[in-house]
Amino acid sequence: MTTHPVRLVTSDRVVLDLDVPEGTSVVEAAADAGFALPAQCRQGTCGSCHATAHGDHRLGPHSPAALPPQQEAAGQVLLCRTYPRGPMEVTTPYPRSRVLDGGPGRREGTVTDLVRVARDTVWVRVRLDPDPQTGTGYQLEPGQFVEVQVPGDDRRRAYSLAGTSSWDGDAELLIRLLPDGYFSGHLVGLLDGRGDRRVVLHGPMGAFGLRESGLRPRWFVAGGTGLAPVLSLLRRMAEWGDPHPARLFLGVTTPQDVPRLPVLADLVTELPTLSIERCVRHPDETWEGLTGTPVDLLTTALAAHQGTVPDVYVCGPPGLVDSVASAVAEAGLDPDHVIAERLLPT
Amino acid sequence: MFCYQCEQTDRTGATPGCAIQQGTCGKDETTADLQDLLIEVLKGVGQYATRARALGSGDDEATTFVLEAMFTTLTNVNFTATRFVTLIDEAVRVRDRVRARYEQAARDAGQEPEHLTGPAAFVPASDTDALLAQADGRGILVGLPLVGPDVVGARALNLYGLKGVCAYAHHAAVLGQVSTEVLDGVESALDYLASEPTDLDGLLAHALGLGHLNLKVMELLDAANTGRFGHPAPTQVRITPKAGKAILVSGHDLGDLASILEATAGTGINVYTHGEVLPGNAYPELAKHPHLVGNYGGAWQDQQTDFAAFPGAVVMTSNCIIEPHPSYRQRIFTTGPVGWPGVRHLEHGSWGPAIQAAQALPGFTEDGPDTTITIGFGRSTVLGVAGDVIDAVKAGAIRHFFLVGGCDGAVPGRSYYTQLVESAPQDTVILTLGCAKYRFNTMELGTVGGLPRLLDIGQCNDTFSAVRIAVALAEAFECEVNDLPLSLVLSWFEQKAAAVLLTVLALGLTGVRLGPTLPAFLTPALVDVLVEKFQIAPIGDPQADLAAMLG
Repeated sequence: MTTHPVRLVTSDRVVLDLDVPEGTSVVEAAADAGFALPAQCRQGTCGSCHATAHGDHRLGPHSPAALPPQQEAAGQVLLCRTYPRGPMEVTTPYPRSRVLDGGPGRREGTVTDLVRVARDTVWVRVRLDPDPQTGTGYQLEPGQFVEVQVPGDDRRRAYSLAGTSSWDGDAELLIRLLPDGYFSGHLVGLLDGRGDRRVVLHGPMGAFGLRESGLRPRWFVAGGTGLAPVLSLLRRMAEWGDPHPARLFLGVTTPQDVPRLPVLADLVTELPTLSIERCVRHPDETWEGLTGTPVDLLTTALAAHQGTVPDVYVCGPPGLVDSVASAVAEAGLDPDHVIAERLLPT
Repeated sequence: MFCYQCEQTDRTGATPGCAIQQGTCGKDETTADLQDLLIEVLKGVGQYATRARALGSGDDEATTFVLEAMFTTLTNVNFTATRFVTLIDEAVRVRDRVRARYEQAARDAGQEPEHLTGPAAFVPASDTDALLAQADGRGILVGLPLVGPDVVGARALNLYGLKGVCAYAHHAAVLGQVSTEVLDGVESALDYLASEPTDLDGLLAHALGLGHLNLKVMELLDAANTGRFGHPAPTQVRITPKAGKAILVSGHDLGDLASILEATAGTGINVYTHGEVLPGNAYPELAKHPHLVGNYGGAWQDQQTDFAAFPGAVVMTSNCIIEPHPSYRQRIFTTGPVGWPGVRHLEHGSWGPAIQAAQALPGFTEDGPDTTITIGFGRSTVLGVAGDVIDAVKAGAIRHFFLVGGCDGAVPGRSYYTQLVESAPQDTVILTLGCAKYRFNTMELGTVGGLPRLLDIGQCNDTFSAVRIAVALAEAFECEVNDLPLSLVLSWFEQKAAAVLLTVLALGLTGVRLGPTLPAFLTPALVDVLVEKFQIAPIGDPQADLAAMLG
């Protein structure tokens, strides 16, 4: 991919060097590099990203009120509409302090709670150390994930957060214990009273989250520990008293994998609009509930549904996300109604 | 969606207006369509309410609801689609109640109730998808092919002016000041718009009527603010941090500021004002709180930087919110008419989550330099020194007054206001109100005739104060306001400013300079009428304009 070097010089003479891919705006490329430049509309109409540029570039459609023709002729640009075609130097009318740093954070903490909630699943609570920049709390968007690292070891493992922002500095995770897993092996040690309870969390990051589209029903599909990000979304809805009708389709492999999670039980009372449907794929004689996958439950529910089309949330392995997308398509719904994040093994 | 209610409306196409999937402000298509539908139902409330009131059966509570519901549709107020679905639902219930009152009152008076059509008979679908489909064929452009752009533009001037009237009336209402005359005016204006008026002269006359109504609203709001918090007094306001935990209060609502100050008293949390809440520092009943430590940041369009850098909680009490950056999305809270998806909304007075956040956040670790600005030149202060002002004018020490006020915004053209104030001669006085002041309120402008050259009257909400000052000066000089050595240079952004502009015109003030651009909903023909009747002029070159104004 062709990229163009762009040197951003702020009004206080701080230099930020970017490599801007062909066809990408300076605002987009800066965001990808971890710099959020002042920009509101991102479509060339508000004027917030006004700057002066030298070098070969193309200027996309924009409002003459935001950038009058005479200013354009004088080399002024709107950075959300500036597509470099060669090396450029851009001078911003604002100081470096107006450029927000958007890179993921790093926090250290201690595993304070570790509870086995199903055959091979643990619920983990990490109390983070106070941070000079952000204070005692842990701020996250529901649905985000973190990368967990054990101090002294560079390896990281990604897990979805199961809770919401906590002003006490708690991060909650739901983790499947894999036989040869790196971090889950560490957790097995902790369960046996061995190992260091200190951990490092990188993040939070990720764009999975609740979408605001009116009083549209919100349906959630979760398999196994894919429940974690969904729990985060549901708990946020409960905390804020969201009025949207909500359904959770939760599937696990065997009855022994059904999580015994107090926070899930509490949600039924805290979020009165929520109904939960569970199923197992491989039942045994103890299982009296439904058999199948959460996508089977979704398919049945979609066939029976009348009224406002729901948004369907799923965060999990690509196979699950694809199955949900197929079920939604087969029900004749617009693919826009699927809100998904694919989790790839780390 | 189609929306052209604010100054930053998309002007890239042949016809100005945000007509794509997202407006310049960040309002998405779903929310824009739901706002159009809400306005439709509110017009229906107005149709019944005005008739019920005429029969002596007014429903003040219903129209007080209308004020807040209208306020949610102003620019940079509420972006939450769910809020609009629930508001539409509530508006229908209110409309049904007012309808029942009206029909009962009519029968009690021995009349057959009118069978109302249009918005009064509109039935919003209960299914969100069907509801959104109903937005097609509604909204501000309805009837365009039949009535043409001038009538549509004049209707827009009325609707947007009315939105501003409602917003200001809501500010007064939450402080307990409600007037039957104002509610009546709002109801009849909605009824008028529901009739889809087509007479251009009638529409313009009605718009000026809204200007008069707005003056009454501003008087009510002035009474609400000064009655509750005292008259603003000249005050040195700190504009740098104090060490300690912190809450930043933005928007306009002084009642919320008071309530937050009470809730945080003794907690060790310092409270700062932001944007249009700055004038709160000058009111005795607010300034008495020692933990109201000053103002932080600039005007609304700087909030993404200001809030990101602020190491505490932020409460947005009314317009103007813009998309919260992820870095502060978990520690900004909305209240009242405001809303943003993914931002926690608090009921008035339920500040617990914001206080908890402020206590967990680091706060400022050290004091900034002692830097202050002077504010608090409301009508009480200025009229208190009217004698000195008049003497200074008569002695020739003060040659001219400029009222440079209104909204601030992001477009580069707004640097005009900075240049104008910078270049204004030493023997002139700058009166200002609204957030446009942030373009020049830290400048050292010095004094003239013993008075500061920059007199900050307050918020845009304090228009009544500015009008009182102008009228009192005219009385003292035994002339009309238009004959005073006073020039109005206004900066507009949204619908509160549209209402204030209508008030200025309704008062017969001429020669107002307006920028940074003229409203997109004013067609060339409408602009011609305003130029002819009121000599409204777009802002131009600051030096040339100054020379012209100084004559």
